[in-house]
Amino acid sequence: MTPSPSIPLFEEVVNGFNKLSVSGGTKKESSDLRRTRQSAFEKFRSLGGFPSIRNEDWRYTNLARFLKDEFTIEGWGGPETPAPDASLVEKAHIAGLDCYQIVLVNGSWDGTVTGGELPKGIQLLKVADARQDPALSVYFEKQAGWNEHFANLNAALFTDGIFVRVEAGVVIEKPLHIIHIYTSENNLLVQPRNVWVINKNAELSAIESVVSGGSEGGIIWVNSLSDVLVHADARFHHTMLQTAGTGVRLVQQTSVRQHRQSLYNNFTFTLPGAELVRNDLQTRLEEDHTETHLYGLYLTTGNQLVDNHTLVDHQKPHCFSNELYKGVLLGQSTGVFNGKVYVHQEAQKTNAFQQNNNLVISPKATIDSKPQLEIFADDVKCSHGSTVGQFSEEALFYLRARGIGEEAAKGLLINAFAFDVTEKIRIPEVETHVNELISLHIPTNHA
Amino acid sequence: MPNDNEIIDNIANKEYEFGFVTDIEMDILPAGLNENTIRYISEKKKEPEWLLNWRLKGFQAFQKQKLPEWQNFQLPPIDFQKISYYAAPRNKKKYNSLDEVDPELLATFEKLGIPLSEQKALTGVAVDAVFDSISIATTYKDKLKELGIIFCSFGEAVQEHPELVQKYVGSVVPHSDNIFAALNASVFSDGSFVYIPKGVRCPMELSTYFRINTENTGQFERTLIIADEGSYVSYLEGCTAPMRDENQLHAAVVELVALENAEIKYSTVQNWYPGDKDGKGGIYNFVTKRGICKGANAKISWTQVETGSAITWKYPSVILQGDNSTGEFYSVAVTRNRQIADTGTKMYHIGRNTRSRIISKGISAGHGNNSYRGLVQIGPKADQARNFTQCDSLLIGDQCGAHTFPYIESKNNTATVEHEATTSKIGEDQIFYLNQRGIDSEKAVALIINGYAKEVLNQLPMEFAVEAQKLLSITLEGSVG
Repeated sequence: MTPSPSIPLFEEVVNGFNKLSVSGGTKKESSDLRRTRQSAFEKFRSLGGFPSIRNEDWRYTNLARFLKDEFTIEGWGGPETPAPDASLVEKAHIAGLDCYQIVLVNGSWDGTVTGGELPKGIQLLKVADARQDPALSVYFEKQAGWNEHFANLNAALFTDGIFVRVEAGVVIEKPLHIIHIYTSENNLLVQPRNVWVINKNAELSAIESVVSGGSEGGIIWVNSLSDVLVHADARFHHTMLQTAGTGVRLVQQTSVRQHRQSLYNNFTFTLPGAELVRNDLQTRLEEDHTETHLYGLYLTTGNQLVDNHTLVDHQKPHCFSNELYKGVLLGQSTGVFNGKVYVHQEAQKTNAFQQNNNLVISPKATIDSKPQLEIFADDVKCSHGSTVGQFSEEALFYLRARGIGEEAAKGLLINAFAFDVTEKIRIPEVETHVNELISLHIPTNHA
Repeated sequence: MPNDNEIIDNIANKEYEFGFVTDIEMDILPAGLNENTIRYISEKKKEPEWLLNWRLKGFQAFQKQKLPEWQNFQLPPIDFQKISYYAAPRNKKKYNSLDEVDPELLATFEKLGIPLSEQKALTGVAVDAVFDSISIATTYKDKLKELGIIFCSFGEAVQEHPELVQKYVGSVVPHSDNIFAALNASVFSDGSFVYIPKGVRCPMELSTYFRINTENTGQFERTLIIADEGSYVSYLEGCTAPMRDENQLHAAVVELVALENAEIKYSTVQNWYPGDKDGKGGIYNFVTKRGICKGANAKISWTQVETGSAITWKYPSVILQGDNSTGEFYSVAVTRNRQIADTGTKMYHIGRNTRSRIISKGISAGHGNNSYRGLVQIGPKADQARNFTQCDSLLIGDQCGAHTFPYIESKNNTATVEHEATTSKIGEDQIFYLNQRGIDSEKAVALIINGYAKEVLNQLPMEFAVEAQKLLSITLEGSVG
């Protein structure tokens, strides 16, 4: 594929990358990391820059209309990161939740923690510092083999983000709440890089909220890449609440590696707002006897395009994975689901389940669902299911016969539909918070 | 009781039953593809100008297209210039009765078990046999003629019913649809043509048998079936080829047109030579099959049993244009040795109240790889459209693979689409249960597989169901999971 120079953002990142080498911003980084940046950028270019619908993984997610705008790259001498806006922090606040809370503005953390002093055994670092630390450099160096356009771009150009490490055997009782605020007066490309390392037999619960200012100000394209490493016997419960406003285009890539007998739970909630959301969640089960749960709920309105891509890569035997993604589509929104389960020949005794259900409420909404199984081992139990449907007439009639108005009845049914996912949240306060967010967005007029 | 490895060896070493070569003098066009090849074929078949032009348009489309890259297997390089595009038995005179046909040829069909001779026609099957590129004989023609049914070779149809052919050829699979369809459009040599007039229910199963006999020839037949308003037809297709070390290309096109209230049932039992146990030789079966339910209440049903071919690559599809029309797809695909099957269906829901049902059963053994690839597309006007899809995979042995790639695209909020897929091996408890009742493991597996495939086999007409069942048990003989 030839790069597409007509895309202003493409020119901007090429310039940005050229500036990177002369600006000296990477001077203190290890030579390996600088090489990784170089090869990741070459990979990005050789993949043709930004993906088009000719690319199978982007077949239903046409970026053309989003790539027309001009953006400047954050960091490397770009605009200053503004201070956190108290009203936005308040917006992301989870009522009644006892947690450690940190706020990142456009991917940068000012170092403050609220909700009490961090216990021993958990370490939070700015990626801007961590990437220059020779001992941590290794966590940023392994992206070169990636085939993903945006991940390579992030690997080449990331400047900041958050680095979280939990020491072996440490159980962090209180959850960690990270509030990602995106705000800018001009159009901006932000590329945060987050790293999670959960060492042996450690446990952590984390909630990541994404919020942004209103539709005034510039458009922010967030190209975020999170690396998650769950070591043997460790447990990580990872919740993402995507509630950014219409001015945000969010590409969130999460790459998880799991070791022996580890547990990884992911909850991804995408709510009305951001005009483009693309989640790429990849879990690689690199050792045996792991357990993985992926839950997702997307509620879309307006012109939103919400795309959830997941991969569960069963490389070793005796692993269990379960995936449930549900979608409620309103307005003229488009939902995309692509779930891939790959079972290698070695991964005997794999149990892998996957389900995607969609409730298409508005006549103008579109859903494209592509569950996918690729299996090379014979002693496995794998299944997937996918449905697209409407409110059950019978259920509606049942409720209305009991004196519940049509709108209220539909609201109830949407809540019930979402319940299968929300009930899996382990923290009651978060569950209540998510349910409130859903109720807030169930419109009274379904047309 | 043989152990797993012996059994796997057993399957692997099973010889291809239909691997005989018929020694008949052939008219073969030298290998190579250019405009002259196409003009030669067209002239040889005394075709009208419009058909030649259509072929040439197909050739232009073919030259513009590249081999696809999205499939889930390594596509071996195909040299289109090394293929001979025309081979016909030299005996060119018209036959009035079967006695005049080359006895060698009749013996071939005898071996294949085709009820070609009139005595065997008691089974009530009208057969159009395509031998390499030429349609040899069509039985039962007179009887069908009385009802106004046209069942003849494509070449004959071009001569005798040009208006029908011109109206419908390429209307479902355009000449530029994909590279293999374009190739077929430019060099197709023969095939079958069926027309069922208004309100006629075809009293017997119509059937075609294809056989590739000559080395280095491709078979590019084209089948066109038109069911006029309120008619019904059930059509069977069977395929075999002799054993060859070289790969042979089979790029056929099948077009079905069902008008208002019409129903077409199309069944295939495909047993092309699959290559030897190391994957040497075998047929590349790259076929484009598509039907259109043009009128309201029309129905098209595809049933396929795929046990042969080195690579099977096809997606029989239905365009559900008429309101209340129905599309069905039932498939059993078996791969063993180094066989590859990438097959499935596409259902395009365009009209209101359209329904589709997809049942796909894949069985992989040895080093076989089986992919289901399907598309269910609901258009914005397809109110109350309904789809149900089930695709199950059975794995026998730990070197094979099973894959599913379903695509669901819905642009209508009143549509209901369901898809489910499972992958597993034959349960040890199931075999144990049957063992306990005095059934040895081999028979138990045959029984389980037949039960697994039953939902599809039940859709086949009687004679074919028996044959397909036999084929399944032969193909997977002795496979204990």
